[in-house]
Amino acid sequence: MSRPDETLTEFERNARVVLEASLARIDARMRSRLNQARHAALEAAVAARRPWWRGVTLMPAAGAAAAAVLVAVVLWHRHPSGVEPPLLEGRTSAVEDMDLLADGEALDLMEEGDGSFYEWAAAQTDANGESS
Amino acid sequence: MPAALLGEVDLTDLEAKNRSRALNQFLAGVELKAFRIAQAALRHEDDALDAVQDAMLQLARAYSERPEQEWKPLFYRILENRIRDMQRRRTVRGRVMAWLPFRGEDDEEDLDPVAQAPSPEPQPVKRLELDEAVGALEKALAKLPRRQQQAFLLRTLEGLDVAETAAAMGCSEGSVKTHYFRALQALRAQLGELYV
Repeated sequence: MSRPDETLTEFERNARVVLEASLARIDARMRSRLNQARHAALEAAVAARRPWWRGVTLMPAAGAAAAAVLVAVVLWHRHPSGVEPPLLEGRTSAVEDMDLLADGEALDLMEEGDGSFYEWAAAQTDANGESS
Repeated sequence: MPAALLGEVDLTDLEAKNRSRALNQFLAGVELKAFRIAQAALRHEDDALDAVQDAMLQLARAYSERPEQEWKPLFYRILENRIRDMQRRRTVRGRVMAWLPFRGEDDEEDLDPVAQAPSPEPQPVKRLELDEAVGALEKALAKLPRRQQQAFLLRTLEGLDVAETAAAMGCSEGSVKTHYFRALQALRAQLGELYV
């Protein structure tokens, strides 16, 4: 509540005019900095007023990320060392094929061209299949 | 989300926006006067700005939910505490500096030659008289004891009544009246009737 002018003495009235004139002498740079300070304060008020449960809106994303990390860690530790996971079986046989191709003796067998090696290999595979 | 709840959220958001608008209006209304009051006490522009900025932040963070009519005394109370803290820190720093054998040139104010240059435009006589009156009043205010200066500025510049000034200064209404009366006497003695 401001004081009504009628209750002021002449000195007080004059002093008020002079003090108000002194406000006009505050330069543009300082006015701009005060303006920035005001906006920073308003942002702080909004942040302070924000209810705690608004923070929960970030929970699904954080939860999904945490769950993905957990699944990755569990899968990593479930395979005992030295035992290949079943998904990699096909890839393992491909690696074995590469070994065969890289092996000099295997190439010699292929060049013989009589097919005896392949007959033998097929028979071995059949025999293994029956035994298992 | 149910419609009622949606309505509640909208209402809350609306209230928050109104509150924010009112706070903006309040701070815009006091910022220049608060800066002048802080400057009169601290006699340093950047320190005065820091004090006002801190007071704005604290009011916004801690008291923006309080009724609007409480904001002004609260704001000036916070500002006053901040000014007092800065003055204490400055006193301690002054004592420490007094013990040092050499004071570097960093203590000197950076003077901007452009800002210091006299304005080429001739000033009207009235403006010159008012400027002289402002300068004389500022000098006289600087000589007042802190509490008298505070009571005078809160009552005359900010227009607070005795109760609000007492709340802002953290003292009784009787003390406010005493400080204010003594301030008026001292200023009259220095300035005469202060014609403008």
